[in-house]
Amino acid sequence: MQIFVCVKHVPDSAVHIHIIDNHHIDENIGFLINPYDEHAVTEAVRIRDAHPGSEVIAVCLGKQDAEKTLRSAMAMGADRGILIQSEKYHDSIETALALKTAIEHDGSPVLIFTGKESIDDQGMQTQFRMGALFDFPVATNVVRLEILSDKALVDTEFSGGVVNTYEMTLPCIIGAGRGLNTPKYPTFPDIMKSKKKPVQTLLFSDLKIQTPAARMEVVELIPHLQKRQPRALTGNAVETAQKILHILKHEAKVL
Amino acid sequence: MTKKYDAIIIGAGVIGAPIAYELSKMGYKTLSVDKLADAGEGSTAGSCAIVRAHYSTADGVAMAYEGFKYWLDWENYLDHVKDEKGLARYMNTGSLLLKSQGHDWKKVKRNYDEIGVKYEELTIEKIKEMVPVADLHEFWPVRRPEDPTFYDEPSKMLEGAIFCPEGGYVNDPTLSAHNIMRAAEAKGAVFMFNAEVVDIRTKDGRVAGITLKDGSQIDAPIVVNVGGPHSFKVNQMAPGVWEGCNIKTKSLRHEVMYCPSPDGYDYLNDGYHMSDGDIGCYVRPEVGNTFLIGSEDPACDPKEWVDPDDFYAGKGGNGKDNVLSEAQWKAQCYRLGKRIPSLPVPNQPKGVVDLYDCSDDWIPVYDKSDLPGFYMAVGTSGNQYKNAPVVGRMMAELIDACEKGLDHDKKPFQYKFKYINRSTDVGFFSRKRQINRNSSFSVNG
Repeated sequence: MQIFVCVKHVPDSAVHIHIIDNHHIDENIGFLINPYDEHAVTEAVRIRDAHPGSEVIAVCLGKQDAEKTLRSAMAMGADRGILIQSEKYHDSIETALALKTAIEHDGSPVLIFTGKESIDDQGMQTQFRMGALFDFPVATNVVRLEILSDKALVDTEFSGGVVNTYEMTLPCIIGAGRGLNTPKYPTFPDIMKSKKKPVQTLLFSDLKIQTPAARMEVVELIPHLQKRQPRALTGNAVETAQKILHILKHEAKVL
Repeated sequence: MTKKYDAIIIGAGVIGAPIAYELSKMGYKTLSVDKLADAGEGSTAGSCAIVRAHYSTADGVAMAYEGFKYWLDWENYLDHVKDEKGLARYMNTGSLLLKSQGHDWKKVKRNYDEIGVKYEELTIEKIKEMVPVADLHEFWPVRRPEDPTFYDEPSKMLEGAIFCPEGGYVNDPTLSAHNIMRAAEAKGAVFMFNAEVVDIRTKDGRVAGITLKDGSQIDAPIVVNVGGPHSFKVNQMAPGVWEGCNIKTKSLRHEVMYCPSPDGYDYLNDGYHMSDGDIGCYVRPEVGNTFLIGSEDPACDPKEWVDPDDFYAGKGGNGKDNVLSEAQWKAQCYRLGKRIPSLPVPNQPKGVVDLYDCSDDWIPVYDKSDLPGFYMAVGTSGNQYKNAPVVGRMMAELIDACEKGLDHDKKPFQYKFKYINRSTDVGFFSRKRQINRNSSFSVNG
């Protein structure tokens, strides 16, 4: 069975991000595999290992530098990679089209994984757009996945911790959530092995994708500035705990 | 009205706090000022707080070994003071120094013998028993992952290791400085925070006090520079001090990484501090069963000398600011990944980036200055955390002796250690010294 994992090369969430010319970020920062995609790769590898003869193919639309993210996916166990190289920004409509074209070009997917979202755009659309293009069912924020002979059983988590269980026909698309697994990080020998795994580079322009009628573009990027207002809580442990509880309930309103 | 003290200590980190403590015990009315909000929140907070004895000089070994006695007897050292934040804990894991071409371990061994440090020599088999996850091949020389030969297969094995049963780390370096502050306060010391020094004032050829950013002036006939990575800026504020130093200090950016321990290996409870010159790394356990991976500054790694104010403000860009860089993350984690092949290396860098107050020869300057009344404990070069309580006592005695008329430049002060039967020539740490060629010129000191 062919298992595809769509991965995205995103800015490291820990870096200082600077907006330039109101549209772009200064890209002289660390980029790495989208954290939700780490769960997707880990799950894909688990399922491959349980189904002998299967392979995991990581697919990424991005600049040349995005090959690093494919190498990360391969160090985590993917067998090979496909880079759809483009120096431009693509919205989720074009991204879904490009991923679909590259996957179809490569073979016949039984499972396609994505992360539940990318931490840069946070659009949460690509998996659904791909599902529509392929006519495959999609489940996102998946926290449990079981593959039976001709179907998948998934648990998806909603806000407030509500979990629904679905039965999906195969092939299907899975948006991996954090609760799905603990990402299996590569060791140095895994990283060495991944250097020898093949990456096929396709140029976005060579995919001959018809320009979609609908498109989205970034009109403006505005930094989200948060002012920290630290307060010191005094008192013994019991008093401090009570004050924290009061803040969480009545000020932050998260409880 | 201008406030008056006997001594002002600039910096309330792990070196500044014990100087205040010891001077207070000797009867000096001290004021510690720090630009940050609490004790130990500057570069002390980024310290790996390793407590180990191996240094490239006998004096270095002696001071570190003396330091152990303080850490082992922490409550007593603090005179049983109460700290509402609790006490820092010394974790005596034992310390492994792998015999490699990356360390002059024979010199270390001679120094151990001279000082009387307890140690045993281990075979490869014995190390493997103690650290079952280790691959003890020789990977020398240290290279960077960008270098294709980094991935060459090793063929030879290492020789063995020197193991000191005494050695480890302090679990919370910030808290340790806070503990010492509370102990100092109990002896009358005063601490002032969010107070940035902008000028060192003089009168009649002698230090007269400090001026703070808000314009307030505080007077004292003694001022001690313990400014950490800002030390060179403080020295430059004091007339003649910077110019009078043959050994200068500047701030060096430094990265430390965290990787989870391999599955099934309880590094936090079963692991040792390990200095591994063969791969240019040192490691110690950290909470969450992780490896804390420090760098021994191999020659192939670039050195980023930065302005401390810009650095802490997050300026300078990728590889120069206070965020881990991908290149160095790979360098340190892959190096350790050779030694520990089952070590998981996350895709996102995690760790600490901070500054060393680095001297020209990576040996500190504990000295008076060319300005009477102005002293300095600077240039700690990432290797003095463990010595902090000893330095506090030594600096206090040096200051007291100089104030009572000793010409330390002509007849260097001899400091008698409290626990080990030895004295050290404080002139070893002189600002006037020539560069010490015996130094490792690294964090190893």
